[in-house]
Amino acid sequence: MGRSNEQAVEASPAVPGCALTELEELMVRYQQADEAGARSLIERLSPQLFRFFAAQLGNPEDAGDMLQEAWLRIHRVRHTYRAGDPLLPWVYAIARCVRVDSYRKRRRIAVREVAVDVLPEKAIEGAQGNDLPAFEKLIAPLPASQREVLTMLKVNGLSLEEIALATSSSVGSVKQKAHRAYQSLRGLLAPPRNTKREAT
Amino acid sequence: MTGSGMNRDIDQLLASHPLPSLRSDRLKQVETAVLGDLKPVRPLAPEGAYLAAIAGIFIAVFSLGCYLTGQHGWHALSELQKFAVFVPLAASVALLAFSVVRQMSPARKLARSSALISAVLFVALLLAMLAVFQPAQESAFVRHGMACFRTGMAFAIPAALLFALPLHRGAGLSPVLTGATAGGLAGLAGLAVLEIHCPNLNVFHIVVWHVSVTVVCVVAGLIFSSVTFRRWNANH
Repeated sequence: MGRSNEQAVEASPAVPGCALTELEELMVRYQQADEAGARSLIERLSPQLFRFFAAQLGNPEDAGDMLQEAWLRIHRVRHTYRAGDPLLPWVYAIARCVRVDSYRKRRRIAVREVAVDVLPEKAIEGAQGNDLPAFEKLIAPLPASQREVLTMLKVNGLSLEEIALATSSSVGSVKQKAHRAYQSLRGLLAPPRNTKREAT
Repeated sequence: MTGSGMNRDIDQLLASHPLPSLRSDRLKQVETAVLGDLKPVRPLAPEGAYLAAIAGIFIAVFSLGCYLTGQHGWHALSELQKFAVFVPLAASVALLAFSVVRQMSPARKLARSSALISAVLFVALLLAMLAVFQPAQESAFVRHGMACFRTGMAFAIPAALLFALPLHRGAGLSPVLTGATAGGLAGLAGLAVLEIHCPNLNVFHIVVWHVSVTVVCVVAGLIFSSVTFRRWNANH
């Protein structure tokens, strides 16, 4: 999903002798302040990043804010990308940091603020024109770490190795989280067979 | 696993569930924010260069410390004590250096786990010191101790400033961890100098006044990086 355009290209003109993918080449051009390259990179990565945030937050407005924050953070630390390293894990590692920081910030604000009125909920599902519940609602019961792995795997199309790099963990750990997420989802979606036992 | 028959139903279900799309005005906002401040940047040097720089700084500070303060402590230590002190100390330094270099770029394996292992090694060093050194009566525990603490800090502070030179470019993503790790490296440089210099083998003296150099440096690195990061964030 979202990576169909990413194909290996011949030796990049930006880094002679180093074969980079198209996205990685755009990143190198972004580091060199090439405006077209930077714009192209933003246009290619932003929808993926937005889905990454939206799938875990459930609020498109917050996901949009976080996307902007993620790009500002990427911009600040763009020199830490080394040509030849895989780009997507680098980007998602930063996106994870932004999400965690934002979560902490929201918690701090929530503790200080007192709700004065109930705001109307935004009609996210209606806007999609689809009767199915949104993806984020489907995975909402899962623990945060499993939600994150599942989102990277199914929404952003990252490989297990890329997720392991982005989350600074091992491939085995990522596999385990994905497996548990699948198990939990299967349990949640299974028809209720044990209603009698629960009633007793 | 994801392509297996068992999970195909879940895959299809996940694929069929909608996700909101990114609005074009949001994308424009991002482009304006990023492209408005577009300047060329120099990518980080290879990890090996940073490791060499850290090793060079550590060895330089340690050698200078040994040269200026003398090696009375080294001569007073038994073979077992030398082994118990310097092997975990060297392992801690190596792992911390590896960890801090890995932290400089996002999505690097073993960055946090090496810092954790290094912390465990530091505790092992502390336990080894407790095991191989004996308690002794001291008439001027605080006065002698403060002299050692000052000596340790006199080498740890310049080491911290020198470590900050190569490491500051990579402290953007996890500045607090980087600050604490760099502080730890500087503190270990001070501790290494003290272990070579100080002939006092009283376990309380070593644990309270020598080890505290490292602990103070870690805490100082943590506080300094946290405050600097907060200010930097407020200005950007």
